Amino acid sequence: MLLHPKALAFFVQSGFITPLLQLQSDPSMFVASAANQLLAHILLAIQPENKEHANIKTNTEHSRVVLQTTDHIKESLVPKEGTLAAGSLQVLKLLALILDQARRPLRDQLLMALAASLEELAEAAYSQMTPALMDVIMAGYSPDSDDVTSRLLSSMLNVNKPADLVQAAAAFLHQSHSCASSDAANIRQAVRILLLPLHFVTGHPLLGTAPSADTAIMTAQLKNKSTFISMICVCLRNTPQVALMPPGILPCLPAMIVLSVVTLLRICSGDASTSSSSSSLDGCKNEVYRCIVNCGKVQKSALEALASLSSSPGADSTMNEVSEILVHYMSNPDSDPTVLQKSYKAFVQWTSVWTDLSFISQQLREDLFMGVEKRACDPRWEVRDSTIEFLGQLHCVPTRKSADSALLSERLTAPLLREALQDSESYVRASAVSALARGFRSFVPDGLQGTELSQEQTDTVGRLLKILCEDTEGFARRAVVRYFMTWLSSCSSPPSSPPSLLLESVRVVLSRGSLDLDWEVKVNTLELAELLLDAAFSDHGRCTGAENHPYATFSTHANGQARAGDAALDSALSSLVDQGVFSVLLSGLVDCDRPVALKACELLIRIRETIYGTADVMSVSCELPEWGWGKEIRKMLKNEGDKGQRVSVCEVLTSLALDERRVLLSQSSDYVHNSFQSLLQDILSAGVTLGDAGKDGGQEVIVDCY
Amino acid sequence: MPEIKVTPLGAGQDVGRSCIIVSIGGKNIMLDCGMHMGYNDDRRFPDFSYIVQNGRLTDFLDCVIISHFHLDHCGALPYMSEMVGYDGPIYMTHPTKAICPILLEDFRKITVDKKGETNFFTSQMIKDCMKKVIPLNLHQTVQVDDELEIKAYYAGHVLGAAMVHIKVGSESVVYTGDYNMTPDRHLGAAWIDKCRPDILISESTYATTIRDSKRCRERDFLKKVHESIERGGKVLIPVFALGRAQELCILLETFWERMNLKAPIYFSTGLTEKANHYYKLFITWTNQKIRKTFVQRNMFEFKHIKAFDRSYADNPGPMVVFATPGMLHAGQSLQIFKKWAGNEKNMVIMPGYCVQGTIGHKILNGQRKLEMEGRATLDVKLQVEYMSFSAHADAKGIMQLIRMAEPRNMLLVHGEAVKMEFLKGKIEQEFSIDCYMPANGETTTVTTNPKVPVDMSLNLLKREMALGGPLPDPKKPRIMHGTLIMKDNSLKLVSSEQALKELGLNEHQLRFTCRVQLHDPHSDPDTLRRIYTHLKSVLKGYAIQHLPDGTVMVESIVIKVSSSPEEANTKVILLSWSYQDEDLGSFLSTLLKKGLPSGL
Repeated sequence: MLLHPKALAFFVQSGFITPLLQLQSDPSMFVASAANQLLAHILLAIQPENKEHANIKTNTEHSRVVLQTTDHIKESLVPKEGTLAAGSLQVLKLLALILDQARRPLRDQLLMALAASLEELAEAAYSQMTPALMDVIMAGYSPDSDDVTSRLLSSMLNVNKPADLVQAAAAFLHQSHSCASSDAANIRQAVRILLLPLHFVTGHPLLGTAPSADTAIMTAQLKNKSTFISMICVCLRNTPQVALMPPGILPCLPAMIVLSVVTLLRICSGDASTSSSSSSLDGCKNEVYRCIVNCGKVQKSALEALASLSSSPGADSTMNEVSEILVHYMSNPDSDPTVLQKSYKAFVQWTSVWTDLSFISQQLREDLFMGVEKRACDPRWEVRDSTIEFLGQLHCVPTRKSADSALLSERLTAPLLREALQDSESYVRASAVSALARGFRSFVPDGLQGTELSQEQTDTVGRLLKILCEDTEGFARRAVVRYFMTWLSSCSSPPSSPPSLLLESVRVVLSRGSLDLDWEVKVNTLELAELLLDAAFSDHGRCTGAENHPYATFSTHANGQARAGDAALDSALSSLVDQGVFSVLLSGLVDCDRPVALKACELLIRIRETIYGTADVMSVSCELPEWGWGKEIRKMLKNEGDKGQRVSVCEVLTSLALDERRVLLSQSSDYVHNSFQSLLQDILSAGVTLGDAGKDGGQEVIVDCY
Repeated sequence: MPEIKVTPLGAGQDVGRSCIIVSIGGKNIMLDCGMHMGYNDDRRFPDFSYIVQNGRLTDFLDCVIISHFHLDHCGALPYMSEMVGYDGPIYMTHPTKAICPILLEDFRKITVDKKGETNFFTSQMIKDCMKKVIPLNLHQTVQVDDELEIKAYYAGHVLGAAMVHIKVGSESVVYTGDYNMTPDRHLGAAWIDKCRPDILISESTYATTIRDSKRCRERDFLKKVHESIERGGKVLIPVFALGRAQELCILLETFWERMNLKAPIYFSTGLTEKANHYYKLFITWTNQKIRKTFVQRNMFEFKHIKAFDRSYADNPGPMVVFATPGMLHAGQSLQIFKKWAGNEKNMVIMPGYCVQGTIGHKILNGQRKLEMEGRATLDVKLQVEYMSFSAHADAKGIMQLIRMAEPRNMLLVHGEAVKMEFLKGKIEQEFSIDCYMPANGETTTVTTNPKVPVDMSLNLLKREMALGGPLPDPKKPRIMHGTLIMKDNSLKLVSSEQALKELGLNEHQLRFTCRVQLHDPHSDPDTLRRIYTHLKSVLKGYAIQHLPDGTVMVESIVIKVSSSPEEANTKVILLSWSYQDEDLGSFLSTLLKKGLPSGL
């Protein structure tokens, strides 16, 4: 409503700002937040420069509103004894919202009026307000001006509490975009603040020689384990951004940061031998270790940071250390499943930037394989699944040129994947199938497509088809259909033709997939059918391209080619019918699941448009069973009485009203129920029901998400 | 004073999208992470930006606890963990962990079915979310970290539902999720021990209702089904995947067996085997009767209930079909409904809540002409019945739980405001405890009186026992003296000598002295003897000794008699006592000032 100038003017002029300011302090944060949004909108909308709202008596009204709002903010900003800090937080959020978009006069006006309160708040150092206060500072901050925000920023980057300091530095770095010289000083300081905890814990000289005062402050932090861990995690989260800082800002090489994260991971895993040579930890090594050894939070943050640091400058020089620590984590049977998953992810990320894997020693490769092999048999399905996913992702790393250059050869990994096909957990089975499918992209050497498959590969195909027919869970069955899609796609380029096993398997997949109970299996089956359509029609030169443009030139040579193409199209269509593609599409069309029906409809329309006007295809027919989907199709064709089982494909495609059906299917499943008419009907009938409910005095509450 | 803060992001004075943030002892815990079935847009999920900016939930939350697999309690979990971002631990029971993905997948399918549903979580996200889950056993204390521990209790309601006791130091909170205080055919009743939490956060779905007997509802249900079958009609029961459907299956199976009925009963294909598998796997979570019978026969392997095939819907004759989804808004149940709606012999029984706008909601409201796709109109001639078999505690059950747990404060969620207000009044009146019912976004702050754990030295205990007297009795507390010292962040009660030793201090004895003048012509020893006799008669239960050195001792109080040098028949009684016997000393001096009885 307040987007309309007249409504806004009415709102302001009628004095609704006062109750709105009261709602800003509502105990419900939902109400307070909505009030914030509204207040910010009003203040920004009626700024004098805003021509849209010129009908508001700009200067007077605007000043009044700003004054009223400013007074309210000033009063609520600093929590008084007995009042809740929640109110101050809401006010800070309001201020940040306004300052973020306010133009010069309003911005300056607010900052001038609130300078003292903001400074008081900053000095009071309420930890829970640090992020909100930093939002306000950064919203109003301009690096070239020396105003209250600059002073506040300076103050926040010099507070006594390291945990707050780290929060402030992280917030500043996150939101700072400028390169002004004054900003460089602040950025440098923020970077130092964020590197100090790592410097302290790992002993790597990230800051050169850190002042003893800093060390003392860090030592004091160790008393509160939760705060210390949170602080480390915030620092780790920001290390990727810090590592990308230019040399003038960063006090050390980026590679040193990587090494410090590696050392931290070693300490977390209980490796005391990594104790630093620096004296910073001497007095409190035990305290540090007590805090972070086996700390899942720190491990997860460190691994995430390590993954992101793979793209930092000079990261190559740390390949050995990184690979060793990651293999160590992957081999550790006590690793938390999420920690293990992050280790895998970090490893994949690093291998994608390692152009040459020769630095990885044979011993490390063996350790990696042994670790992976054990994790693939872990009693926890989460671990097994992550391990199998990892094996699949290793295949996908783009720098792999050939199977021989792979980190782990297929000879080693394929048995693990095949074993995982019969895992008790469906997720693991599905991941194994997906990983095997990924192998097609990497391990099918050029020129060998279409050649004889090995016995193992043939067995694998058999097992996959068995999964499709018998597995109780949809995940694995979906993955199987996608496997065959990947295989078919990898064989799609001439001159090779798909192996006969693939063609036979595809027939089975089409048949079983279309009958599956899981809608995604059915959709994937239709996508497989689409690949066959692509292959069939492109093979026979029938594409929806320029050739079919109504204004395309037409030569006798093209005409001759077209006639030859029509005959080929006839055989393409027949082959699609023989492969079972057409049956799959028809059964999908009448499926009770909308995405399946829609996909099938679109593919049928595509066939119809492809064969449109081609005389030779009129003779192609397909079989309609008497039961199930066949019966439904007959009903739609209005030839239920016809006992003959074969019908012309062309007749089916033209008689099924596919276009109308597609329009219907393209609408959301609840379009009927979400219409205004539907709502009106519900209101009318609810009125009747409420009237009846009063009569029987029933007290049953119809509220249960059953 | 320490405080516990509770902020509902959902289910605060409403039902749906349960998500409650508890701040206790510096820890932040999210209780449930549900979705609201009534919305199709972002409002269906809790808005986490209210509690953290930039999605840093991992830093803010210490753990997430999910009570059970209903979507209004876990439906937003993959959204929170994978789309907003949360890497910390998620706790739920084993059955909940196994069944959650099924319902999440089921719901994902329904929303993907709607056009334009791009911002919905994928199967990969559901999987990655479940990987973060740490399963809980009942009654087993799990240490989340050094300070925070949690423990799960049986809640009934659905398979695997749990109430959770959360403890940080000496402060604790119990969250019930949805629970049921009466057992049903396959689940037991909720139970919790007398844990006396600072706050009991309870659902209040039926805050003002005392539900009619379950048997009446069951009888009514069976009667209606039977009547339909007898007249050759078909009965459709839309159900939401796993859950209460198993209860209805057992009910029908038992009835069919007893009445020797032949009409077929079908269950949505695929779900029969899955449900059976999970109920077998988690048989220990069912009630005692099921577990006992399981030795001979698996109650979830039904003789009369078969898997459904789409083609059976056209078969002639009576049948009963359980089909998903539960609100008749899509899929198989809607397809069957369209086929059967035109026949007045048929019946549809809605066993649960239907969101506004769904076909289920419309027909329950009495609409008999429904607009379908393509402007087709469906005449609804079949019989429409609503029978709630939801398993929630009623008002009586909620009061029963309060008696069980003995909380210091109550907080009501998951209910309607007006009814919660009524129940709040009842609770405050009956139990004399504060009861809160915050709305969504409101923070309730409860001040706690934490217990201060104090160790006691063995020497002090032994010394007390050596003094003799009756053994310590909670109903008859005995005062004992010691010194409370704080060392290494713990408190200890020790004897004063030990305290001095530990603290390296010297002992100084402080004694009070009082003189009482008494007119007594007897000799000093006689007067002392008379005092001794008098005190013996007055002070029963105290240790009084007449010592050879010419003094009388009462506890630590020393009494000496000497003659006054000024007056012959005046005695000066000197009383001296230490700090501990201040009261007794004062009493004795007052007593002796009154003089001695003449008969002594």
